[in-house]
Amino acid sequence: MEDLLLHRLRRLNHAIALLTGILLLGCAAIVLIDIVLRQIGSSFGGTDEISGYVMAIATSWGMAFTLLELGHVRIDILRGRSGPRGRAFFDLFAMLVLTGTVSLIAYKCWPVLERSLANSSRANTPLETPLAWVQAPWFAGWIWFAVMAWLTFIAAALMIAKGRFDRAEEAIGCFGEEDLVK
Amino acid sequence: MIWAISAGLLGLLAMSIPVGIVLFLLGFGVDAFFSAFPLIRGLGNLVWSTSNNATLIAIPFFVLLGEILVRSGIAARTYAALDRWVSWLPGGLVHANVATATMFSATSGSSVATAATVATVAMPQAEKLGYDPRLFSGAIAAGGTLGIMIPPSINLIVYGFLTQTSIPQLFLAGLIPGIALALGFMAITVVICLMRPELGGTRRTFALAEMLRALIHLIPIVLLFAIIIGTIYKGWATPTEAAAVGVAGAVLIAAAFGGVSISMFAQSILGTVKIMSMIMLVVIGASFLNFTLASAGLGRELQGLLDGLGLTPMGLIFVVVLIYIVLGFFIETLSLMVVTIPIIVPLVVAQGFDPIWFGILMIVLIEMALITPPVGLNLYVVQGARKTGKMSEVMVGAIPYVIAMLIMVALLIAFPAIALYLPSVLSEV
Repeated sequence: MEDLLLHRLRRLNHAIALLTGILLLGCAAIVLIDIVLRQIGSSFGGTDEISGYVMAIATSWGMAFTLLELGHVRIDILRGRSGPRGRAFFDLFAMLVLTGTVSLIAYKCWPVLERSLANSSRANTPLETPLAWVQAPWFAGWIWFAVMAWLTFIAAALMIAKGRFDRAEEAIGCFGEEDLVK
Repeated sequence: MIWAISAGLLGLLAMSIPVGIVLFLLGFGVDAFFSAFPLIRGLGNLVWSTSNNATLIAIPFFVLLGEILVRSGIAARTYAALDRWVSWLPGGLVHANVATATMFSATSGSSVATAATVATVAMPQAEKLGYDPRLFSGAIAAGGTLGIMIPPSINLIVYGFLTQTSIPQLFLAGLIPGIALALGFMAITVVICLMRPELGGTRRTFALAEMLRALIHLIPIVLLFAIIIGTIYKGWATPTEAAAVGVAGAVLIAAAFGGVSISMFAQSILGTVKIMSMIMLVVIGASFLNFTLASAGLGRELQGLLDGLGLTPMGLIFVVVLIYIVLGFFIETLSLMVVTIPIIVPLVVAQGFDPIWFGILMIVLIEMALITPPVGLNLYVVQGARKTGKMSEVMVGAIPYVIAMLIMVALLIAFPAIALYLPSVLSEV
């Protein structure tokens, strides 16, 4: 069951990461068009603002993918010297701390969106973007990260409880498969 | 507070908690124990304002650019071309490793990407031509570190962002030290191979016609570098926007030289999102820690500590260099930079040192951290690409290049102009 859960989470976040990348490509295209427009004497006047929003949203939605690909850097000094059980302990502990911290971050992000919603705030910029429009997807990304972290933690905890240390290490260990192969 | 933070930092990192999360935890700690008013209320706003930032979007763009170059096979052709040009030197192909790394540094913002690129294309040649695996792989690991010195550089963008220093100026400042380091690596290779010719494999010369024909394969990289740096210094684009131009350039070049496919693009995109999120978690954590440290009065405490120590400015730089060398053994590069910037840069700048100069000095020290065991990311990347032999061989092979970096550190301290000359003559930018 936990294998299926992890497999599904990976596939889901794989798709989300592709969408995130496409969002970034779209942003690159906008920047390019703006550079060309400036050379012929006009401009959107809002590329920096759009880039900022894209960066905030892409960052929050990319986090869970990186988590599942074991991309968030960890220092392997003590852990690397432990046996399978020790490593499982380090991994699960680190995962729990991450999950708790990310949940707190997501919780603390809500007031930012709440205020923008309550005041119908608009950005103090030429585009006058309603902030809630861009903060809502940004906030959703952090919630997504927290939820994914909890589910991954549960799946890994089940694996460790069943003594399946190898599989747990694949799920929440220190290096991604790709790093090991390369 | 400084001691509590430092101990907490090392302890939490040793627990193998993700670096970005450690920075948040330290921020919570500062808030709970050293701050008069609750700082955590600002957390949400801080996460928003740090990531809603047009400068930082250069990070995914530069990562993507590098991914495209590697995955489209341009890297392999560049290596073959440089081989034609430098393999007559004592040390042969080892110089091609350094030269290819240097060229890729000029289009890639990351050291690991550069090392991985060169290692993938170079390793198959090493055995075939009878090179000493230690020197050969050490040169790749060291050459790869140039990625963060020669512009564009993701680490310099992060440094500029966290210290409010001009990124174009930092890029200019990194150019001469970067090229000097590359030449230093090659010089030290020549010296070693003159003393121990058996390490250097076969020296090969190629006909002039063949050398000239090879030049065509260098065009993509030179062109891309010219496009990126040109648009910045012509004033057409900010460094961030130039990164977007670079992505477009890389796509066009990859298309022109073949090797574009949907799956290659998908892999490039996935790699980019993964690296971007990793970097951003660390950057957001660092800016939260920065904010709590500043609010809790770190500046005053540091000044007090420094007055108590009675260090001269030079003494301070010496201590700082030592700290980086020691920490560099254990902590991965970007993390090392990001966790130390809030504490060390204010100290150094308060003593009257130029933040741009210090940024470059820090980059050399961080490059060293990349190739010093036990935690030297580039060593692992190169070893990963080798697939055979012992990890320790790469570590031994990197030692001569660590010495070259130490010499560079001394030169930068003695002659700050190495870094500051270009920014000063081109300061109207």
